[in-house]
Amino acid sequence: MNPKSNPFSSAGSGLIRGGLSAYGEKIFGSGSEYVQSNISKCFSDPQYYFQVNDHYVRNKLKIVLLPFLNRGHWTRITEPVGGRLSYEPPINDINAPDLYIPCMSFATYLVLAGISLGLSGKFTPEALNWKFVTGMMGWFSEVMLLKVSILSLGGGEAPLLDMVAYAGYTFTGMCVAVLGKITLGYTYYLIILWTCLCMGIFFIKTMNRTLLSEVRSYDSSKHHYLLLCTALTQFPLMFCLSNISGT
Amino acid sequence: MTKEFGVPPVVFPSGGNPTVAAGGNTQQRRVPTAPFQPPRPSNSGIPFMSFEVGSAAATTSGPIGGGTGPIGGVANFDDEEPLLDELGIHPDQIWKKTKSILNPFRANPTFHKDSDLSGPIFLYLSFCLFQLLAGKIQFGVILGWIVVSSIFLYVVFNMLAGRHGNLDLHTCTSVVGYCLLPVVILSAISLFVPQNGALRSGIAGVFVIWATRACTNLMVAVADGGEEHRGLIAYACFLIYTLFSLLVVF
Repeated sequence: MNPKSNPFSSAGSGLIRGGLSAYGEKIFGSGSEYVQSNISKCFSDPQYYFQVNDHYVRNKLKIVLLPFLNRGHWTRITEPVGGRLSYEPPINDINAPDLYIPCMSFATYLVLAGISLGLSGKFTPEALNWKFVTGMMGWFSEVMLLKVSILSLGGGEAPLLDMVAYAGYTFTGMCVAVLGKITLGYTYYLIILWTCLCMGIFFIKTMNRTLLSEVRSYDSSKHHYLLLCTALTQFPLMFCLSNISGT
Repeated sequence: MTKEFGVPPVVFPSGGNPTVAAGGNTQQRRVPTAPFQPPRPSNSGIPFMSFEVGSAAATTSGPIGGGTGPIGGVANFDDEEPLLDELGIHPDQIWKKTKSILNPFRANPTFHKDSDLSGPIFLYLSFCLFQLLAGKIQFGVILGWIVVSSIFLYVVFNMLAGRHGNLDLHTCTSVVGYCLLPVVILSAISLFVPQNGALRSGIAGVFVIWATRACTNLMVAVADGGEEHRGLIAYACFLIYTLFSLLVVF
């Protein structure tokens, strides 16, 4: 059942192309080429974001949760591929964004939210489904915020999945916060402030690099305000999403 | 006269032309069959709905005397396949696969290479039954979570495995479904364990680790490309089975 053996999966990489080539042919008929070309316009090769290994995951988690301990540089390594500069995959470059950690931390957040709901006696599957929906909405709104802010500075070529990955890293901090709520009770508020601070620093450092590489005109003051804003939005977002026992 | 009703002669592929074969004896004309008979072997799985009275085996014995062939559909019954085989449910295979999950320390992937969904459906129904005995009506929730988690694992596994990944959704759902066996046993046991207590969570933890181990070993063995990402896949499986154990524990 290998979907690679038909003419629509010429690129051969990645699940989305394979899946779409198999089902797009059946469902959309002649429209599958349209679907495929549009998908590759919106999402730049999701395969790149999943080239991770254990070592990368461990070190990236350390960077995300404790960004001030990272003494190294924050720039992504580029290598010339076919005349254009392209970024190294996450397996070779600790500063590259990936999609494995955001997806897993979102799922971990859901599990921890379920445990926290259960321990306070309010667990129902519907409540957990609602947490899933609110988490997705929060993730989506953060992606939109990042994308709009980058667009407003004039750098439109930043790939959408990069923004999705950066926005998803906040779920790591949220998992720590919810874990703190489960285990330590009222010190949860201190932990949340701490993780917000850390995520803010991580965001500032990453977006600094992204903005420098993507934006043409270097307008210093707008730059800094924008970075500060993105960092500050972490606070209400995390408070909202980790307020488990609320509505 | 052979053409009593003004009907043009029709050639029956299995029995030949009755006007020729029956020697013009149209009183013993056999019951009209559909003029087009799709070719089918004599012991096909699904008995073809036809108006023909005799079975295929009987008609190949000769075109003569069509009307005197065996009457009624009863003759078809002995040639039919057993119902479970027709439905594709093989109880001995399901039993072997289920038993292979029972050993938490070593996975035996030989039975799981050909995936089937009837075992997982049976396990799903027994899980729902035990939850029902605990007072929780969660049929739709569990089915939805099984579907979502198998799609999640399918996407994660194929993305991690890259170009070598050849896991398909049917196999993924089959493996996730069979590895629900420890969770089913957990839900049976937790009917007897007191409601609030660390014992409940502790037992749940043991069973979740069992399920994770079984699922990871099977996934890596059944599909290519997962070997070097064992830990990452194990974490995904762990999250899935923790979610199911939440339904049991709380």
